[in-house]
Amino acid sequence: MQFIILFAVLISTYLMIITKRTSALIRSFRYQSFCLFLAAFMTALRERQLDLYVVAGLLFILKVLFIPQLLYRTIKKIKASEELGLFVNPQLSLLWALGFTYLSWVFTVRLIGAQDAAQVIMFTIAFFVVLAGTFLMIFRMTALAQIIGLLVMENGIFLLAFTVSGGMPFFVEIAIFFDVFVSVLIMGFFVYRINKFFTHIDVNKLSRLKG
Amino acid sequence: MMEITLILLQLIFFIVVAPFLSGLITKFKNGFRMRKGQSVFQPYYNLLKLFSKGQVVSETTSWIFKVTPFIVISAVLTVTLLIPVFIFSSPLYWMSDFLAVIFIFALSRFFLALAALDTGSSFGGMGSSREMFISSLVEPALCLVVFSVFLQFGSTNISVFSGQHAVSVSSMVAAMALFLVAITETSRIPVDNQETHLELTMIHEAMVLEYSGASLALIEMAAHIKQMIWFFLIAQIIFPITALNLANLTGLFFWGLWYLARILIIVIGVALVEVLVAKMRLFRVVDFLGFVFVLGVIAMVCAILGV
Amino acid sequence: MVYIYGQRSFLFIEVILFKMFDFFPKQIFIVDPLSLFFLLVIFVVSLPSAIYSFGYLKGEYSSSKITLSWFLLVVFILSMTAVVTVGNVLIFLVAWEIMSLVSFFLVVFDTTHEKSIWAGTIYIIMTHIGTAFLVAAFLILHKHAHSFDFMSIKNACFTMPAPTKDIVFLLLLAGFGAKAGIVPLHIWLPYAHPQAPSHISSIMSGVMIKTAIYGIIRFVIFLLGVNSSWWGVLILILAVITCLVGVIYALMERDIKRLLAYSSVENIGIILLGVGLTMLFISMKMPYLAVFSLIAGLYHLVNHAIFKGLLFLCAGSVYKATGTRDIEKLGGLIKNMPQSAVYFLIGSMAISALPPLNGFVSEWLTLQAFFLGALNSIGGIKLFLGICAALLALTGGLAAACFVKAFGVVFLGLPRSNYAQNAKEVPLSMRSGMFFLAFLAVVFGIAAGYIIKLLAKVAAVVMNIDISSMSFSLNNFILTPQAGKSAYLSVPMLALVLVVMGLAGFVVYKLFGKGKPLIYKTWDCGYYKLGPRNEYTGTAFSKPFRIAFSFFLLPYHKTQKVRESFYHVKSFAYETHTTFVFKKYIYAPLIALVLRSAKFMRRIQPGSIHLYLAYIFLILLLLIMFMHKF
Repeated sequence: MQFIILFAVLISTYLMIITKRTSALIRSFRYQSFCLFLAAFMTALRERQLDLYVVAGLLFILKVLFIPQLLYRTIKKIKASEELGLFVNPQLSLLWALGFTYLSWVFTVRLIGAQDAAQVIMFTIAFFVVLAGTFLMIFRMTALAQIIGLLVMENGIFLLAFTVSGGMPFFVEIAIFFDVFVSVLIMGFFVYRINKFFTHIDVNKLSRLKG
Repeated sequence: MMEITLILLQLIFFIVVAPFLSGLITKFKNGFRMRKGQSVFQPYYNLLKLFSKGQVVSETTSWIFKVTPFIVISAVLTVTLLIPVFIFSSPLYWMSDFLAVIFIFALSRFFLALAALDTGSSFGGMGSSREMFISSLVEPALCLVVFSVFLQFGSTNISVFSGQHAVSVSSMVAAMALFLVAITETSRIPVDNQETHLELTMIHEAMVLEYSGASLALIEMAAHIKQMIWFFLIAQIIFPITALNLANLTGLFFWGLWYLARILIIVIGVALVEVLVAKMRLFRVVDFLGFVFVLGVIAMVCAILGV
Repeated sequence: MVYIYGQRSFLFIEVILFKMFDFFPKQIFIVDPLSLFFLLVIFVVSLPSAIYSFGYLKGEYSSSKITLSWFLLVVFILSMTAVVTVGNVLIFLVAWEIMSLVSFFLVVFDTTHEKSIWAGTIYIIMTHIGTAFLVAAFLILHKHAHSFDFMSIKNACFTMPAPTKDIVFLLLLAGFGAKAGIVPLHIWLPYAHPQAPSHISSIMSGVMIKTAIYGIIRFVIFLLGVNSSWWGVLILILAVITCLVGVIYALMERDIKRLLAYSSVENIGIILLGVGLTMLFISMKMPYLAVFSLIAGLYHLVNHAIFKGLLFLCAGSVYKATGTRDIEKLGGLIKNMPQSAVYFLIGSMAISALPPLNGFVSEWLTLQAFFLGALNSIGGIKLFLGICAALLALTGGLAAACFVKAFGVVFLGLPRSNYAQNAKEVPLSMRSGMFFLAFLAVVFGIAAGYIIKLLAKVAAVVMNIDISSMSFSLNNFILTPQAGKSAYLSVPMLALVLVVMGLAGFVVYKLFGKGKPLIYKTWDCGYYKLGPRNEYTGTAFSKPFRIAFSFFLLPYHKTQKVRESFYHVKSFAYETHTTFVFKKYIYAPLIALVLRSAKFMRRIQPGSIHLYLAYIFLILLLLIMFMHKF
């Protein structure tokens, strides 16, 4: 069961990488967070610990419901175009994503050995999600893509922690959630301000400010 | 008491004999030019004439102009006391350092140059500029010659000349270099012409152009005495003289004769150079002084090698 | 150990300082004769300069700015005092930095002139380059000694390997050389010293660059200990080059204070000749000669402080009286400013090494040190020392020419402009400062025997040599370089003889001369309109030197003809310049190289966030791929 959920995470990450539109990106992010919630919930059911339930709940509320809603509202307010500026076209991005997957598998094998197949798969996917987040930040032009990239990276770290150690200490989880929440709020606000000042949120155009 | 008599004797000797040497040089020059020329005592007549005339002082000058003749004559007379003439130590042997002599001459030159600038005329400026130029280029050569000669004595004290020192290659080369330095310092051809008053050609004369009367007499006297000092120094290096033996009377006579003869040889040498060579252009003097410097280096190397 | 010397006022000040030391732990300060000697140098120049500044600053700035200048002056003097007395390397660096910064503020004090800011910029850059070298040297020392205290460093330096010592020596030389003004690190001197107010110039030129010499003596001779002979030879070569470069540029200058600044470069070269000889003799194991040459070096140090301080104060009074520093616009000032002229004359005589003043004694001592070295050494070193001595004699002659020009063109002759015609004598406070230093110049010349004894004690402590058997003067009256035999010099007697002979000449003049002189115009060769335009200018005075040294100075001229017709030239303008060889051939290419490489490196920063993120990502990937290698 767990493997199916993990593969769902993988697929949604691929979806995020190949998408060309902003709302599609946010939707894929929602799917990914939902799958993550499922994985966390199942682990909580298995372990039967209260804090795991709380963490899963928070994950659901924040990352599945609240943050995507916030992002949709920001897009509608600033009337940004659906165009998610791409440096690399979707087909090539998919090829690179496959490459990154292979890379993280090699890394995992080097790190923890090739014995435990379940662990290897979990670790690989978790690490790949982190790399995918970084990829989104670098190779997508708008500021929104960078926010989402950051969120995806956080997802990846969460997944990593969960698979490796069965969850991080409770307070660390809460702290991270709070961090992410506040940072998304602030960034949403900033995107609004950037748009108001520059009338676009294309971060690539910042290089014009260079002295 | 002995020192005081020696001091006075040396002073009077220099003051009395120096103009005679200048007259002698002129006589020899005229002889080489097949002329009868002026008498040997003409410099004395010139000095007497100058003392008997009044002075004209320029209104642009200040106290420096008036003080300079005294400083010049005092510097030169001080140096006469530092040279061994009659016996092998000078009257003031406890301060007779050759390097100090160079600086004392520099003192007189400094004030002469300042007095020349004081007059506010182009002649003065030209004279002092050229004089300081040539004298500063002479100094390294002089320093090297001093080193190479005095290295064998062990100190730069002039009174250390023992008269017993051997005539070596290094001392001969050093003496030749000193001879050329003396020609430069006493403003003789080929560096400067004492008989001319054309601004293109005069250096020392340009500095003292504005002086007249008794001040000019003092400065001219100083020039004569300086020349005599240089000749005595060179003579001591080239022709070292043995100690005075008062017992043997004929020996004494020949000693005195040899003593005077060597000065005469140098005088004739200077007169010959003045007659045979033309005065050099100012910037050829740089090459000339470079040649003197090289002579000094050769003297130093020979002294090191012990030749 | 406190060696109390100098005049009563210095005794007083040193007692106060020593009482101050009781409040601090003894390890921070080193109070040995070398420090006390440098304290003497500091105060001997700072006190008259401070008194001088009363009159100098009065009309120039607002009273709040004058208060600021006093505050900065006090901090400056205190920082220099700290530099020469601390015994801890860290505090030394702190004091050094404070000294540099405060002097920077003083250099740019006159903020209305754009040149001051430029001068301050060059100064602060060069001084920080020097400090960087110093920090490197101190770090290496610390690595060996594991402590910052002088005494423990000195003990650790016995076991330091020779290549490390060489590197530390070179770093220290570069660091202190930038502050002292050794060629080619001297370029800040001719900019900074003229722009500072005159009393600050005199302290900077008289004292601050000497603290660099203190650093060399303290760190190289005292701490590191000299074992290799090439150190002394290197310093001698650098010193000779510094002398010659300094004096040749000084001859070409038309700004009085720049002339004095270049002359400071020359005299630092002469001081370093003494210090270099010391190192040479230490490595050749000749203790007597080493002490003697250090005496010569230290004597010239204090003499230069005195007469350069005096000369800068006089230049300041000329500036204050006439409003210009350009000697081509001055002339005839001896009639309007008689006292300043006398002080400037004494300063010029001292710096040209004329007897019986102090410059004569220290140059004579240095030449004697060369001679004794040539006497007691073997082989090629003799020729090297002889040639160095000859070049020292050359710089002495050139320096005399330079100051004949400076004094003659500024004070003598006819005034060349209205500035000079309307000059007035400066107020009493300025004159008393100058009088004090002029008096000291005479005293330090005549009391040479006594001073040499004190300096011998200083030198002995620096090098740990026992001098009880060495005598450098016979009963304080006659100087004897060779411990009582053969060579002698007696300055008081020389002065006496000069005065007596001068009086004799005067008597003869009065007896045989004819009446009062007639006052008339200068001989004008028949020309009817003799005026200041006919006088020799400073540039004309130094033209023979410009031509003789043209291989180094690379002079060039620009001419401009204005014609009315083909046959009639209405005006002809002629300008002659000398090239700034160091700026053009050393510093300009260096700066261009630095700027070019900076422009090249700029390309990795295009301002795009994505590229920066990509850098991070790339490094992450590389770390992952090659993880097992780490």
